[in-house]
Amino acid sequence: MSTAGEQGGLGKYIVVYLCMLAVTGIEVAIAGSNPGGAHLLPIMLILAFAGALLGVLFFMGLAAEKRSLILFVAVFTLFVMATINYGWTDSFRVLMGVPYAK
Amino acid sequence: MSHPDVALGGHHAPAMEPSPFAIPAIKLAMWLFIISDIMTFAACLVAYGFLRNATPNWPRPYHSSTIISVLVMTVILVTSSLIMLMAVRAARAGDRANAFRWTMVTLALGILFAILHVREWFGMIGQGVTLSTNPWGTGLFGGAYFSVTGMELLHVIAALIALLIIGLGYKSGRYGAAHVENCNLFWQFINIVWMFVVPLVYLMDIAS
Repeated sequence: MSTAGEQGGLGKYIVVYLCMLAVTGIEVAIAGSNPGGAHLLPIMLILAFAGALLGVLFFMGLAAEKRSLILFVAVFTLFVMATINYGWTDSFRVLMGVPYAK
Repeated sequence: MSHPDVALGGHHAPAMEPSPFAIPAIKLAMWLFIISDIMTFAACLVAYGFLRNATPNWPRPYHSSTIISVLVMTVILVTSSLIMLMAVRAARAGDRANAFRWTMVTLALGILFAILHVREWFGMIGQGVTLSTNPWGTGLFGGAYFSVTGMELLHVIAALIALLIIGLGYKSGRYGAAHVENCNLFWQFINIVWMFVVPLVYLMDIAS
């Protein structure tokens, strides 16, 4: 948390807190009204990223850090997230019962 | 300047490399740890998703009681995150009493979260879910469920120990505000991971 962030009140953090709770509430409402829905995964992922972004930027104080640190964390994390998701594709191969790529 | 000169300072001022990203080394170390932990959790969640996607008839065992419990756990964890921020603010202001108080409130909420988490586990075990078996016949479900939620619980327990040590250490003057801030980073990270565990593990598999 930056020094600048401390000079203000807690108002900003309470708004972020309420937003994070609201994100979870929206997730539950969507998942509860449409259990096992076809497009549930991307919706849940988008909402989870939104909540996580709020947490990282404000509760972890990344928004108040130097731009170079923000870039370092963002590039590193997004690269890992993007590349690790490459593994998903293989689950479809397993599901279809195809032992090896042809 | 030779290496010994750098090490000993030579006849000049000590050679000091500026802090990367203009943050203290202790904070940079925590960010690097968190980034590496992101890889661990990402691997765990992707493995969970892989198994879920590749397994026909993946069970959807979570009823409203579980979802309500998970919601309560989320409220507790997010509230504890806000309170931990108050501890950091107090620590940076040099208010040791308040920083300690808020750290202990965070600790108490974390313990409550862990208790509810374990209760959730016992509920699943009570339904017959183990690492290798479950009543729905999809053998991989238990292992996947316990590994993802267990990883989260393990981090919560580690953070609780850290909160206790740092809280007491800060109160006694052994640790400074930077340590409280670092502890806050780790606690917030756990909260953020939970924001992914809830939808991907629980909400995706609500019983219809």
